Amino acid sequence: MLFTSLEFYVFLVLALILFAVLPAGKRWAWLLAASFLFYGFTQPSNLLYLGAVTLVVLACARALERTAHRSARRTLLAAGLTAVLGSLVALKYYDFLAGQLSLPVLGLKAPVGYSFYAFSAASYLIDAYARRLPAHSPAGHVALYLAWFPKILAGPIDRATNFLPQLAGGLRADPARLVSGLQLIGWGLFKKVVIADNLAPIVDRSFAIAAFASPIDLLISVYFFAFQIYCDFSGYTDIAIGISLLLGVQLLENFRRPYLSRSTAEFWGERWHISLGRWFRDYLFIPLGGSRAGPIRLYLNLMLVFLVSGLWHAGLGYGVGWTFLVWGALNGAYQWAGVAARPVWRRVGEWAPRLRESTALLVLRVLLTFHLIAISWIFFRAKSLGDAWLILKKIALNLVEIPSLLPRFPFTADHYTAFALIAFLIGIEIVDERRSIFQRLAAAPVALRWGIYYLAIIALLLLGRWQAREFIYMQF
Amino acid sequence: MRALLKPALLFIAIGVAIYAGLYFAAERLMLRTGHTNPFFKIATAREGAFDWVILGASHAMPLDFADFNARMERDTGLRILNLAGPGTGPLYNRFVLEHLLGRRRVRNVLYVADAFAFDSRTWNEERFADAKLLRRTPFEPAIAARLWDYALREGVDVRAVLDYASGFSKINNRERLQRDVWEGEAQFERVYRPSAAAVKKRVAYLYPEPVSEAARARYLEQLAAIAALARQAGARMVVVKMPVPAQFREQLPGEAAFDAALSRMLSAQQACYADFSAALDEPRLYFDTDHLNRAGLTEFVNHRLKAMLVSRDCAPPPAPRGGA
Repeated sequence: MLFTSLEFYVFLVLALILFAVLPAGKRWAWLLAASFLFYGFTQPSNLLYLGAVTLVVLACARALERTAHRSARRTLLAAGLTAVLGSLVALKYYDFLAGQLSLPVLGLKAPVGYSFYAFSAASYLIDAYARRLPAHSPAGHVALYLAWFPKILAGPIDRATNFLPQLAGGLRADPARLVSGLQLIGWGLFKKVVIADNLAPIVDRSFAIAAFASPIDLLISVYFFAFQIYCDFSGYTDIAIGISLLLGVQLLENFRRPYLSRSTAEFWGERWHISLGRWFRDYLFIPLGGSRAGPIRLYLNLMLVFLVSGLWHAGLGYGVGWTFLVWGALNGAYQWAGVAARPVWRRVGEWAPRLRESTALLVLRVLLTFHLIAISWIFFRAKSLGDAWLILKKIALNLVEIPSLLPRFPFTADHYTAFALIAFLIGIEIVDERRSIFQRLAAAPVALRWGIYYLAIIALLLLGRWQAREFIYMQF
Repeated sequence: MRALLKPALLFIAIGVAIYAGLYFAAERLMLRTGHTNPFFKIATAREGAFDWVILGASHAMPLDFADFNARMERDTGLRILNLAGPGTGPLYNRFVLEHLLGRRRVRNVLYVADAFAFDSRTWNEERFADAKLLRRTPFEPAIAARLWDYALREGVDVRAVLDYASGFSKINNRERLQRDVWEGEAQFERVYRPSAAAVKKRVAYLYPEPVSEAARARYLEQLAAIAALARQAGARMVVVKMPVPAQFREQLPGEAAFDAALSRMLSAQQACYADFSAALDEPRLYFDTDHLNRAGLTEFVNHRLKAMLVSRDCAPPPAPRGGA
């Protein structure tokens, strides 16, 4: 069930009605059943994978609770992680590697959302090992944490330390959460069906025929893809967080206006897919020694994190291929450059503190970061390394001539709509960066607030593409 | 929570009023830009009976491209209404005919049969939910009721009924300002350059699933139902297969079996049948892999179809000497 489909909203209304009539302490049981129904709706076999992961997690966590011996606990953790993450690796990569190494292809395929709940499961096991979890969580609560239908397909990768305590006292929705939830659902839908899905056909067309597309076409598509993937993914997580709020659960924040980042470190660490970034930070980067193990280890750790992140992203709608490894390596290289430039940056701060804080430099840094990320997205979106290289080459070799060719480019109404939507999004994000749009709305007179809501609904009706285009990250 | 109820109801009420306004505006705009949709044609056709109603999928559509229908009417002195639609199989054609017969007198029904339309749900049950058709279908309670009936009895997706009744596809129509013209009409004067790859692609598109006897039997029953409807309304039913190039015809899967089954069913229904599929082989008479262009259609109508339309005879006219 897609968040943009009619059947999902029928399902959601039924879920909300039963949620409202049940006593707060029993609601989790209904939501667990609803989550299983949601996940197994189109592919019942999905439930086998979810069930297996849940059983592994419960068995290992219970055993960890009962075991005090350190080496036994380590063995249990290793066994649990091997089962969960090993199955993820096997399902995602076996056939790809078998094809490369001429081994028999088994037709393995990870079920939708597996990358996300496998990481939630891994974080649960590591937190159980580190005794960071609330003691004696009921098995049903743990199952609900893994199966929670708003997030199971594409995150956020919530932590049990955030999720389980909310179930302990019974789930309740208050008016403020309801309003926030509906606002987020509306904004998420707008980003997905109005912005992302209006950009998608232009992007798809150029990337499909990269060899024949003009450099301007490719350049426009690279810019559009940067906004398409942002609106697609952040739209999904806004809806997921919004629905969770309607059901009394506050999920972790996942996006914070990423294209306003001043560095790629800020982009990946604080603003883009925050729940995944923190997962890598807490469960990979820090255990490897993080930034405290010396400069060489720091560089190695950074690159390793981004290479693993690249592997995790492979299969996301655009197949499993080497492009994702290059994408990870390129972002790792950006981090290296950022670390190497730190002393220079510090000196600039000492010599000219005003320059460092000036708006002009801030805008330059934001633009530079955006372009670095946009270049890396080419490897993410292209069909092959050859295509990615070709796109980069065509744009780079014609960059000087592009401004003079622009007036003759056959812009269509779809292009103008896309430019207007991107400009609108950037405007909203800049305003939101200073003070939350939702806070501003709450302080606005009712007539203005409602007027904005109705305009958003009219835009969804008139401009939205509702023909069930899948969310990109759901295909991981 | 109770404090939220009153403003929430007011918000919903205003929202419903805005939606109704958008729906009304979309309906008016659709009536201005409508052209190809069969229900639009029925709603906007001049009063009076029709001598011929043409049903079928896209192969029948060129008969109404540009001035062609008007020319046929002028040449034969008959009143002709072409209700063919792109990719519409017999189930959808029956739906259209039922609606027409409920409001107009029809003397003859010309059904243009294509094997692909009898092979898949894609061209039948699923066709009803196509936003491209729904957004150009004028709203009438009778159509909504019939669509609901088809959802209950024929397995049409309930979402098609909801979409039609709510007018969602009309409001959400991205081509709301453009005239409802099928893309083939713009190529009517074009001459096709034969391409084996294009034929292969086209055949794969027309046959999304392997040919199934059960599906054919079901959709042949729908054609029999069309024949029965025509009979009950006192109309004569004639079934034809339109000419297609040899290169295309040879790639069609299970065509001989379909022809045999179709002939059997039509003789049981006592309907006339003429197979013109091999009548015009030259690619220059087509604008793409399988649709007649103006030159091809002129030749076909002048030498074959016109005689059938004006005659009460079931036998197809003989092939003209030295040509089609």
